[in-house]
Amino acid sequence: MAASGQLNIDDLAGVVRLREEHKKVVKDCESRISTWKKLSDDYEALNERLETLPDQLSYDVMVPFGPLAFMPGKLVHTNELTVLLGDNWFAKCSAKQAQKIIGHRMEHVKGELDALSKTLKNFEARVGFAKDLESISANQGDYVDIREDMKCSDTPTTKVRQRIAHKPNSKPKLDAILDVKEEDEEIDEDDTAEGSRKGILSEEELWARLDELEKLEKLEEEQDRLSDNPDINGEDTSSSSSEEEKEGEAVNGVSLKPSWSSVPNSIALPVIDRKEEEDEEKEGDCLPTIFFSHTVEPKKVRINTGKNTTLKFSERKEQKEHIKRKKKNGHTNGHSHHELHKITTPADIYRSFVDVRNGEPVPRKSILKSRSRENSVCSDTSESSTADFEERRVMGRSFSHDEATYSDTSDGITEEDSPTTIPLHPPSRFEAFSGTVIEKDPMPSAVPHLTIAPPALPTIPERKQEEVATDVALPQQIPKKVSKFKAARLQQK
Amino acid sequence: MAELIQKKLKFEVEKYTQMQKDVSKSMSARQKLETQLTENNIVKEELDLLDSTNTVYKLIGPVLVKQDPDEAKATVSKRLDYINGEIQRYEMLLKDLEKKSDQQRELLASLQQEFQKAQGLAVGKA
Repeated sequence: MAASGQLNIDDLAGVVRLREEHKKVVKDCESRISTWKKLSDDYEALNERLETLPDQLSYDVMVPFGPLAFMPGKLVHTNELTVLLGDNWFAKCSAKQAQKIIGHRMEHVKGELDALSKTLKNFEARVGFAKDLESISANQGDYVDIREDMKCSDTPTTKVRQRIAHKPNSKPKLDAILDVKEEDEEIDEDDTAEGSRKGILSEEELWARLDELEKLEKLEEEQDRLSDNPDINGEDTSSSSSEEEKEGEAVNGVSLKPSWSSVPNSIALPVIDRKEEEDEEKEGDCLPTIFFSHTVEPKKVRINTGKNTTLKFSERKEQKEHIKRKKKNGHTNGHSHHELHKITTPADIYRSFVDVRNGEPVPRKSILKSRSRENSVCSDTSESSTADFEERRVMGRSFSHDEATYSDTSDGITEEDSPTTIPLHPPSRFEAFSGTVIEKDPMPSAVPHLTIAPPALPTIPERKQEEVATDVALPQQIPKKVSKFKAARLQQK
Repeated sequence: MAELIQKKLKFEVEKYTQMQKDVSKSMSARQKLETQLTENNIVKEELDLLDSTNTVYKLIGPVLVKQDPDEAKATVSKRLDYINGEIQRYEMLLKDLEKKSDQQRELLASLQQEFQKAQGLAVGKA
């Protein structure tokens, strides 16, 4: 307060001085204006005189004689005037001409007068302002300073509702899960709304992290392919795209990992690309564990398998679920739902449903296809509650293999013509992601599941059909499924 | 040490005041020229208003000398140009002087700082 008080005093002094200076200028202006006014009046009088002067030949006047005396005299040649033009120039002219000259001069005087009055007004305004300032700084008067603190952080947060992005955690499961969850949230926010809740720094860090993970994933993928070693670094806690990855990664858990991690890295756009990578690689492996972290139960996304066809994909939820799944599954590297988690508009959904053919992401015509059968199995229309999600997850697990097998079969078909062959995926996918965690066990475990698969088939198709109805699916899922099935098939072979 | 700086400071201050005077001189000269400019402008216009029937006189000392109107006009125009040229010259001069005075001011400021430091040291020593 003391400081502010001092400040006020200083300000006050300054303002007072300013005011005084302004006042001076105003006075000066006023004096000038008065002189010009006088001049103008004189000219007016002269003009009048000239009007009447030529009326008579001569006038009787009292002529000033020295400083103290007058003499009677006559004014002659009344029409002849010697006019001072300025700068020691004179001109003899008639009264009329003199009048013209006077008129000309008058204009000039008026111009000057106007300019001066303008300046006067300006300075008067300034004086008034200075006065107000003075009163403000003195905390007197009725002036109140209104301030509004801008919180930058608020805007981003408000802008983006929390999206939980799945961040590809390259850390091994459990630890990763928790961290990832947070990161995912961060990332989501960052990705989606560029508002980092945690702040800009966290975003940058996350992105850097994502890049690292990406690289890691790639390396791992290669390794996994060779080793088929289910080492799951980070399941896709990061992105909802994990769903898609799930499918793709169904093939190999290891591959999932890399792909998954890579996916989270590119949460926003590259997600789709990642998936492709993952899908491709996944196919090579046997049934790896796929861990989808579905953050959100498709509360909004109802890829319902018949109940509702509303597709509301709430990424966040999927992601959360993804994370949960991941946590539960621990290591499985779920598919990185990179693509999925990014769904913000209906268009995104289609974007996420991408088939990976020949290493290229081909947009799927029908999102019903592919998506994880698992999802369809698990998710169903119920969707969206994390609790349900958990259950589904479990279900998903059990079905994962089934789906895997199923998907394998379908993969063969779908891979080529994904959109047409298998209709179900899309709706389920959302659901699946939201609640289904597809874990793929390593080869050995997959095999027995395969046998079990058939019985599950009948159920799956139903779902698939339902899903088809919804026609909403995460494209990513579809491609993933394909790969998964393929992988399973390959394994079987 | 402090005394030395003090002397220096005084010298610089004198230089600065001199510079300021020069600046103000050239400023006033320029202002005079400006008034002359306006005046001559008015004269020119008024001469244009008049025709050649009137006689034009020029006051040279106590004498009014008759002048040819056209000649007068020409003279006035020439004078006008001359005045413009002078104004520009003075403006340049003014700029230079101002620059120099600024430099001088900075120098003074630095010297002052030094002086204060030296004084502080001296006080400390004492």
